[in-house]
Amino acid sequence: MSSGFEVIKAGAFTLIEDKGRFSFMNIGVTNSGFLDEFAALKAHKILNNSYDCNLLEITFAGIKLKATANTIVSITGAKCEFKINSIEKSTWQSYNIKKDDILEITKILKGQRVYLAVKDGFTITKELGSYSTTLKEQLGAFEGRVLKNGDYLPFSEQKNFLKKRLKKEYIPEYKDELVLRVVLSYQQNSFSFKEKEKFFNSIYTITPDLNRMACKLSGESIKSELNGIISEGIAFGAIQIPKDGQPIILLKERQTIGGYPKIGSVLSIDCFKLAQMRPGQKIRFEEISISLAQEKLKKFYSNFIQ
Amino acid sequence: MNIEIASVDSVIIYFGDTITKENSLKVKAAYKILKELNNSALIEIVPSYVSVLLTYDTFKYNYKEIKELLEKELKDIKISSINEESKNIVTIDVYYDKEVGFDLEEVAKKSNLSVDEVIALHSSKLYDVYAIGFLPGFAYLASVDERLKTSRLETPRKKIPKGSVAIADTQTAVYPKDSPGGWNILGRTAFKLFDKSLETLSLITIDSKVKFNPITKEQFLSQGGEL
Repeated sequence: MSSGFEVIKAGAFTLIEDKGRFSFMNIGVTNSGFLDEFAALKAHKILNNSYDCNLLEITFAGIKLKATANTIVSITGAKCEFKINSIEKSTWQSYNIKKDDILEITKILKGQRVYLAVKDGFTITKELGSYSTTLKEQLGAFEGRVLKNGDYLPFSEQKNFLKKRLKKEYIPEYKDELVLRVVLSYQQNSFSFKEKEKFFNSIYTITPDLNRMACKLSGESIKSELNGIISEGIAFGAIQIPKDGQPIILLKERQTIGGYPKIGSVLSIDCFKLAQMRPGQKIRFEEISISLAQEKLKKFYSNFIQ
Repeated sequence: MNIEIASVDSVIIYFGDTITKENSLKVKAAYKILKELNNSALIEIVPSYVSVLLTYDTFKYNYKEIKELLEKELKDIKISSINEESKNIVTIDVYYDKEVGFDLEEVAKKSNLSVDEVIALHSSKLYDVYAIGFLPGFAYLASVDERLKTSRLETPRKKIPKGSVAIADTQTAVYPKDSPGGWNILGRTAFKLFDKSLETLSLITIDSKVKFNPITKEQFLSQGGEL
């Protein structure tokens, strides 16, 4: 029998993701990709994986996998109840998995998304240059659908073992409140000083409309002097302000073009933190200059250069 | 031309603030120039009606540097450089009938035209592609004859069948897959707008021109069309 995981229970929303699908936005194909790049790339780093590898993004608990061969896994992201053969284990470290071992995530305790990587990734085929599942476009692994019971996740069997654990100080703590840094951009000039002041001095609540496409907020209403705009390309993290004045932050699976005024864009590395927030939790915005933002971005990715 | 920050690693280049053929031609010319630079640091180039969004590698260029590069490369955009006699004319066969064109009669009524006149007007024009987006392969085509101008439905439909040919204001488009939408549906095509088996994925690009060709129900079905 080939080596891989038998999916005994898939969980409600488990996807295969990688860094995303690029250079097809011009024909309307979204980027997709793992929402929390910090956790996902760390999962790969723990295994010395290439950063182009794929892994599982698990949004609700209830996943149960059975190994048919030896491998090494790492689990990062949301704080969860993770068990190997019914014994509770901690996350942000590697585990050597033997044939017939059962892996389970039974509860997500803090945060929203768990990442489960195997050594060298799952051996599946890419579609349009990426493994990433995009549900609305039916692209990527398993023809663009969520994982289901009975699926098979092939990997190449590992002979060597590896023990690696992230130092506690590097493990993020998922809090109930988050400050998102914003680069003023796009139609920012159509927002008066007063409106911008309101925007940066308010506390917004994350609504249940939080998914891989976007995060809708509720709180102080912001007005643009523009009614709408001519549809244009939407950047990752762009904050659009529709007529009701409630900001929407656009994430990895956003539409490629759209027509609402935008006050600015959330720094991408802060969107990764947003991916671990839940409805009802609070966020605040803080301005950051483009030069400082670019410095922060480079510093973030410098940790993940091979 | 006006370059603005879009996000930490992207800029947006505006060529005007109204939807005109001239602005659209500038967008297409700029898109072509940027594509032909073949520069791997330019990660996404997203043309739309009057703008091009560009995502770039911040390890290669900072904001100031990318702005300088764009100002240099796009300095002498000539819209005449785009051949108006576009070779890439895509013909889309359409079965126009109330059976699949749910709003055909309503559009005719609102425009004081007969159904046949609506079909004739819609299929007689050669349309420009103004933008592609919303869904993979969804091309915004313009402009439909003034007489056909019909505003979007007040309540969007939850499901518009794949292949539906629709109009909204002066634009027309084909739904590449089942999706919600508020455009007025005139007919249906078996033409694949987004085809994963093709190297180009989409037969329609921003440089294409599109023509609709009325066909019978039998022809539509023989092309693999579904009712």
